[in-house]
Order: sequence, then structure tokens, then C-alpha cells
Amino acid sequence: MPEKNKLQRYAAIFEDIKAGDIMSTRIVEIAADKKIAHAKELMKIKKISGIPVVDEQRRLVGIISIEDIIHALEFNTINDPIRRVMSTQVVTIRREDSLAAVVDKFENYKFGRFPVVDEDNRVCGIISKEDILHGILEKFNLIYIHDLKRTSTLNTEYSAITGEKLNAEEANFHYRIDSSDIDAAGTGAAMLKQFLSGKNFHNDIVRRVGVATYEAETNVVIHSRGQGDIFFFQDQDRFIVRVVDNGVGIEDLDKAMKEGYSTAPDHVRERGFGAGMGIANMKRFADKLVIISEKGSGTQVEMIFYLPSQTWPLI
Amino acid sequence: MTKVRDIVALLEAEVLSGGDKLDEEVKSVGASDMISDMLALSKPGMIILTGYTYPQVIRTALVTDLLGLIVVRGKNIAPETIAYARENNFLLLRTRGYLYSSCGKIYAMGLQGGDAGKE
Repeated sequence: MPEKNKLQRYAAIFEDIKAGDIMSTRIVEIAADKKIAHAKELMKIKKISGIPVVDEQRRLVGIISIEDIIHALEFNTINDPIRRVMSTQVVTIRREDSLAAVVDKFENYKFGRFPVVDEDNRVCGIISKEDILHGILEKFNLIYIHDLKRTSTLNTEYSAITGEKLNAEEANFHYRIDSSDIDAAGTGAAMLKQFLSGKNFHNDIVRRVGVATYEAETNVVIHSRGQGDIFFFQDQDRFIVRVVDNGVGIEDLDKAMKEGYSTAPDHVRERGFGAGMGIANMKRFADKLVIISEKGSGTQVEMIFYLPSQTWPLI
Repeated sequence: MTKVRDIVALLEAEVLSGGDKLDEEVKSVGASDMISDMLALSKPGMIILTGYTYPQVIRTALVTDLLGLIVVRGKNIAPETIAYARENNFLLLRTRGYLYSSCGKIYAMGLQGGDAGKE
């Protein structure tokens, strides 16, 4: 397929994603008449490198960057009002802009994030590159990374979905998978479910965690021929389940994704496995699923389950 | 409302475990020998008819919140399977009936499958 058609096809898939759907709504903004020193403190606390500046009506009038702060420190103007040093040429995204338009902004300007404004030019959100990734994840509920260049992401302690640090030693639940015993497949999932059952969570989420983990665990037992682990992390608003192994990896991802396709050997099929539903089931029961695999260096499955009443976005 | 007890009577089933659940309501019924299909299609409160007798099936049922399992054709069930069910007080029944006939009888009684309303 020619490159151009391909691009159009991708654009069509994401056509209905608007900037407003993916933006992060926790906005940091600052009034134009505040001192530059104020902006400096805010950047320090929020660990950001730029802040949208607004007028009394909270309309966007400029942006102050870390360079402006450095400049003010150098020339001892740190107590001047922000209005005096901010740049007024602000590149904004409109709430109803398409994902393609947002991506264009990132390509054309080398900023890390853009303010999103409404009809009245009020800041209603911020979009960073991570927000774009989230938007795409939302669309698919699934990412599959299968690429030698990505091996560095395999078995790292960072979440492939949220980017947060997941320290295996701090997991709320851990199970070492015995991948030599097909009869034991699912034991870890059953134990995890039992672990959660006593904790007053909604039955539905506990069940979904159980089933999806069961599938992931079974895959390790049937296919990996390696060592595997289940890690469960409980967060305020979500559960993260990680099932990792150091086995043979997934050879043909397109096929593995297909419902009904299985490479399970006969002795496994006799045990009622190998329906080719593993990944489909994980996708069905998890809210987010990422599978990272590399032939020869193992597979990492990460699943997120949102606790009820949790609304997007997370950051 | 159909109770477990009604199905036990209908299929002349033997209660191997979970005998205190005879008055619970059966919400829907399914049949499968595949673990993955059970994981995908079962619903809480469902009873599944199966020819699968390894302990794995109990684990699967517990994870999916099944109400119970009915092993068909009077198959021999591994003692480990029965022990596992008893440990968890899980409803395990056995009937001499074949899978097809047993399903047919239950269906005729008015209980529908997991795909009810989807056609």
C-alpha cells in the first residue's frame, strides 16, 4: 500500500478522537499580574517547564517558560509581573481539533505540551505526547509492541501503559508460575482472586481480574517454556496485573491475536486448553491490555482494571 | 425460578459437593469442554455441563463465579477434582445422561443459555 493511503487510513481510524477527549484536565495556570517568582515556584512544585498565563477572566493571554525565568534571574527582574516577560505568541489547540491536527502541532512546533482552549479562549486542558498515547490506547484498548528496538521496555519496572514505576517488591500480590505443570495452570489467578475476594471490592472487577489473569498465566504455562511471575499492584483507582516470563516469546503476533488460532500442543488441548481465546479473553475482561513480546526474550502482559466510579483521565 | 434442586431431580444427578446450594437459583446454563470457552462465556450464577473432569475445571469455575458444574455421562471424576470442589464447597453434580440430552431436558424446562436474546 502506498504511504499516503496508509496515512489516510490511519487518520480515518482516529478521526473521531478530538483534542477534548484526550486532554488532561488538571490545568496549571497563572494570572498575568503575578510576579515571575510566583511562576518559578509553581514550576518547581508541579515539575513543569511552562505555564499558561491568563487574565482576570481566565482567558489565555500568554505562556511563561523556564527560559523566561532564567532570563529574569539573570537580569534580576524576578519580582516583575509575568505580563512583562511572557510570550504572547501562544500555540494552542482547540478542544474540537482532531487527533491528526494535534499531532501536526507536535510536529510543527517543538513544544512538549500545548494548552487546549475553548470558544472563549479559556484554558480547558493540556495535551502532552503521553495524552496522545492514552487517546490511542483508549481507542484500541490494546497495544502490541513487537519489535527488537523495544526490548529495553521488556521486564522493566515501569508500567508500559501509564509509565508509572511498578516495583516488583512492592507488589500487593506475587505468584511464581510453575510452567512445568499444566495441571497447576490457573492456580496463581485463583489465589489472586481469593486474595481480592476478602477485601470488599466489587464482585465484577474481582472476577474480571481472575479470568484475565488465568488466561495470561495459562499462556505462560503452555507456551513460554520459561520462568514466569504474576504481580498485582493495587492503586487508588485501579488494579494493575503484570504477568511476565523469560520464555520463547510470541512468534507470530497476527496469528496469536486471532480468535480460534492456537499453537498449543496436543497434550495441552486434551486438558481443554488451546481454544485460541487467550488474548481475546484478556482483552474482553481487562480495561487496558498491553502485550510486549520479543521472540527469544519473553513476553510481558500488563492489564489495567479500573475500579468502579473512576473516570478518565488518570493524570 | 429454577432451583438447583429442580435440575438435580430432572437429571437424576448425584450431588458430589456443595450440597447446601440446592435451593439457590440457577440463572442460566451452558455446556463446554474447553477451559478458555468457560472463561470467556460463563456468567456468575451459571451452571455448566461438561465432560471435563480434571481439577482444573473447579479452578476455572471458582475464578468465574460459576454456581456449579454438572459432569455428564456418569464419567469417572479424579478424586483430586472432588476434593478440590469440597474444599471450596463448590456445587459439583454428576448425571448419567449424555451432554446433548441433559442440555435438552434443562432447556425444555425453560432455562436458557448464555446467548439468550442475542440471536
